[in-house]
Amino acid sequence: MTWVFDKPLHTLTHEETVQKSIRLWEAEDLGGMTEDNNRLPVPVVILVLLTVATAFLTTIPLWGQRPTAAIYAEYIKVMDTPEILAIQEAQGDAAAMKRIVEINKGSEFIAAQGRHPVTMDDLRILKPQIEAVMELPAVDLKDYTVVGPIVKIANFEGNFRPNGKRVRQQPWWDKGFLIDVFYLSMFFIGVTVTVKRLPAYHWQPRHHDADPRHGDRRHKP
Amino acid sequence: MILKYLFAKNEAIPVGSAAVFFGFSAIVWFMIGTGLGSFNAAKLAFPDFVTGTEMFAFGHMRQVHVLAVIFGWISMAFAMAMMYITPILGNTRLWSEKLGLWNCMMWNISLLMGLSLMWMGVTSGREYSDFPWPLDLAVAAFISIPLAVNVWMTIIKRRTQGIYTTNWFFAASTFMLIIVFLVGNLPEYFHLTGLTEAYMTWWFAHNVLGLWITPVAAAIAYYVIPKVTGNPLYSHRIGHLHFWSIVVFYSTPAAHHLMSAPLPEWLKSFASVEGVLILVPAIAFVSNILLTMQGKWNMFVENLEVRFTVVGVLLAIPLNMQGGFQQTRSINWYIHGTGWMVAHAHLALLGFSTFLEAAAVYLGLQTLMKRKLYSLTLGNLHFWLLLIGFSTYWISMTIAGLIQGAGKIYEVPYIDVVIAEHPYMIARWLGGTMVFSSTILWLYNMWMTAREGTVIPAGRMPHELAYER
Repeated sequence: MTWVFDKPLHTLTHEETVQKSIRLWEAEDLGGMTEDNNRLPVPVVILVLLTVATAFLTTIPLWGQRPTAAIYAEYIKVMDTPEILAIQEAQGDAAAMKRIVEINKGSEFIAAQGRHPVTMDDLRILKPQIEAVMELPAVDLKDYTVVGPIVKIANFEGNFRPNGKRVRQQPWWDKGFLIDVFYLSMFFIGVTVTVKRLPAYHWQPRHHDADPRHGDRRHKP
Repeated sequence: MILKYLFAKNEAIPVGSAAVFFGFSAIVWFMIGTGLGSFNAAKLAFPDFVTGTEMFAFGHMRQVHVLAVIFGWISMAFAMAMMYITPILGNTRLWSEKLGLWNCMMWNISLLMGLSLMWMGVTSGREYSDFPWPLDLAVAAFISIPLAVNVWMTIIKRRTQGIYTTNWFFAASTFMLIIVFLVGNLPEYFHLTGLTEAYMTWWFAHNVLGLWITPVAAAIAYYVIPKVTGNPLYSHRIGHLHFWSIVVFYSTPAAHHLMSAPLPEWLKSFASVEGVLILVPAIAFVSNILLTMQGKWNMFVENLEVRFTVVGVLLAIPLNMQGGFQQTRSINWYIHGTGWMVAHAHLALLGFSTFLEAAAVYLGLQTLMKRKLYSLTLGNLHFWLLLIGFSTYWISMTIAGLIQGAGKIYEVPYIDVVIAEHPYMIARWLGGTMVFSSTILWLYNMWMTAREGTVIPAGRMPHELAYER
């Protein structure tokens, strides 16, 4: 069980242990089963790395977020203005809502508003709730989530502000991802150490004399 | 006949008795499970079919179908595979045939009791862990723990120094099943409610799939393909990557089943990344098995066990592509709570794993009974009915799910969605009924194999003999 670290990418095992493993590998009959010692083919390595990158890229909180109350605050400010009320009276709710969206084209929340469109009926339900939140002291509307017809404190637990309130906003890089980085690193280190205890992949077992390939089935990309 | 050995001395029980008992039990439960599935699908396709009797209501019968398939068919086929593969790989006998026989009998009794109670409406009401708590304890005491003890003791008492890949999975999965079952049912023992209950319920459901069904099905492929083709397993070291990545990445993403629930968001982010990383073991598994097939692809056509196994392995590709991505926030928003999920669950249980288990049962029963398969024609018919029936089900439910997703997002009146998906419900019933029919043929074929199959000479394997019918 000696460990050697002079050629870590080649092997972590003392030569004597390698030879012992090789003898066992070739001599032992596991119910007639045999195993080769091929490395992970390069295209498969690329696929694994691509999976890891994809795992982070497709799951960052930018995608599929619930809307915050902040993105509708500007809508609510203008919904009872004479202009909007006049359009509503003459052409109905849909036209009024269209005009509200046009007025807010320059909003910093334009992308989020686009992903989470609302109707005038929705706004009528949200308005009193958002206004009630705005009356609270030192409030940030981005700390509140709109879940269907309900406005409620968001389910995030960020750092504390100087006033003692928590930030309730999900950063684009969530602490869940930091745990993932740690977890993934430990996994790949663990598996690499395990695999490097085996005889190096250049060696292939010779399973039986009748095999015309003499067990030499190394992957040749 | 097998029951007479329940009180015999262990040495007097013929080798493989427990595995044969488990094998036939598994097929019978598969027939019951798919029969219930076909019945339930008929109720969704034809709403006037069997109404007025509470016990035949969909709400009573759905979970009976699900648990009959998981703990009857799939898990008993796994037990069958373990009872004959574990000792072979250790060049030894099963530690206790007697324990295996008792395990199988108590398993059948416990399952029959559990399903009957559920059918009558006695249920925990939690999906996948629907059994009431006394039955949970019975499952642990009479099903999972005796199975694990027999598998571990057989491995400990092996006559080899090394342990083949298949047995890593068998040993680990039997251990993990006990943990999953006891911990996953904690909400019921201690009346945990709310989010804790929801999380534990889906931790259980996720890990029954991830730490029991997926690894054991894969372990079967690691045995069947090298054994029948005669090729060495392509790579021992890829086996390591597969094993450890399934343990690490499959055990963690339970929260991705509850992406819209008020769980801590960091937990969902963590789970979502881990959910995509489920593709790592899938890549390792599929590449290892398909590369092992090198030079023997003719057997994919000619040999029934290889065909079942390779189809199961190939189905792991769409299964994991769906599973990896459907749990991300953006896709989950669309397909959550729709027929898409039902289609995905059937891709996992009726596609990927059932094909692998069928291969194990075909190979195992022929090997242990020393009888060549009675009829290749019936075997082929079973394969094609299962494949076409499953595909019909999967595709129709996937389309129905996308329709439901669109209806949900665009707030289409529910009754309009029901009307739009009606043709797909009929297709689902047709597909499910084909699977049920194929299972009846299979049971007949295996029964006839036991009675009239050509005797396999000592020292030969079933696949070395030509099919006769």
